[in-house]
Amino acid sequence: MAGVKTPQRVIKEEALNITSMMDLMTIILVFLLKSYSTQDISIAGDADLQLPSSTSQQDPELAVNLVVSGRQIVVDGVPIIQLTKVPDEENPGKELVAVPEDEKKGQLIPTLFDKLTEKAESAKAIAEASGSSEHEFKGRILLQCDKKLPFSVIREVMYTAGQAQFGEFKFVVYKQE
Amino acid sequence: MAGFKTKRVEASDELDLVPIMNLVSILIPFLLMAAQFVHLAVIDSTLPAIGEPKEVEEKDEDDKPPLVLTIAVTDKGFFVSGADSVLNPDGGGDEDEDAGDDEGEERPPTVPCKGNAVCANPDAYGYEELTRILGLVKDEYPDDENVILLPESRVQYEIIVRLMDACREDRVNKNPDGTFRDLFPFVVIAGGAK
Repeated sequence: MAGVKTPQRVIKEEALNITSMMDLMTIILVFLLKSYSTQDISIAGDADLQLPSSTSQQDPELAVNLVVSGRQIVVDGVPIIQLTKVPDEENPGKELVAVPEDEKKGQLIPTLFDKLTEKAESAKAIAEASGSSEHEFKGRILLQCDKKLPFSVIREVMYTAGQAQFGEFKFVVYKQE
Repeated sequence: MAGFKTKRVEASDELDLVPIMNLVSILIPFLLMAAQFVHLAVIDSTLPAIGEPKEVEEKDEDDKPPLVLTIAVTDKGFFVSGADSVLNPDGGGDEDEDAGDDEGEERPPTVPCKGNAVCANPDAYGYEELTRILGLVKDEYPDDENVILLPESRVQYEIIVRLMDACREDRVNKNPDGTFRDLFPFVVIAGGAK
């Protein structure tokens, strides 16, 4: 037995097999690259804000962002007015979202009007300072409204925005492919 | 040296994927932040213009009367007006005027609700039928692109958006090149009925 050599044990380095994980990562990477977007606007996550779907294919552009959810009116992220619920006269037992009576003068909502006028004035000042036509104030406003809102609320908001020099409305909707 | 055993270490023949893993791990959180899972779009609309009345160009007497297409929305359906030459070619316009004088009689909706007399939800409105009617009006007035919407106070916003879609393009009867046929893309939302 003296001349018999014991076979050398071959030790293989145990590396973690990450090939399958790489496959997974590559799939995720491709999916995320496909859904990568540089859109100018984002929607606020709110249970009381469900946008309607539309067949419109027009991309949104940067403008003053006015959100009317089922609970409140928000301008560029700042809550302005809390909405209320009033009984629906034609459907007893049901309620309609409405702007509180003490918050409006006829169709005008003064608090919202003041805020939007301030936005319009600052946009005009920026346009004047920059001097380029690219930043010119065009009275554009992005309206994100909850799909269940009655038209009466939207009409008052649109009327107020119109009085505050915002006449070009862009209703934000989910794009239907 | 007799008791010294050498262990041979064999190099792994697999590709070293760790650096790529590092790169991908950094990219994924970044792309997750910038990913957009819902696609947004906008619908243009304007308020009705208020100002000095424009001078109307003199037209030949043979010209058709200008189209002031108006769609009122109530819980009974859509009421199309301003296109009587297409909708009521047999002189329905005069009948409408008579109906207006007679306060007790109400004009039936141009596109009534599906099934019931009152539309219980946004799906109950006849958007397809309205698009078909607007297609007929467009055949008659190919250059007109404006439509005025007059929704009732209690009409839900979703119905208005779907109505705007129905007015904008005909997705059933396409152009010869396969694109959707444009109907009345410029939508003006007016104050509406109380």
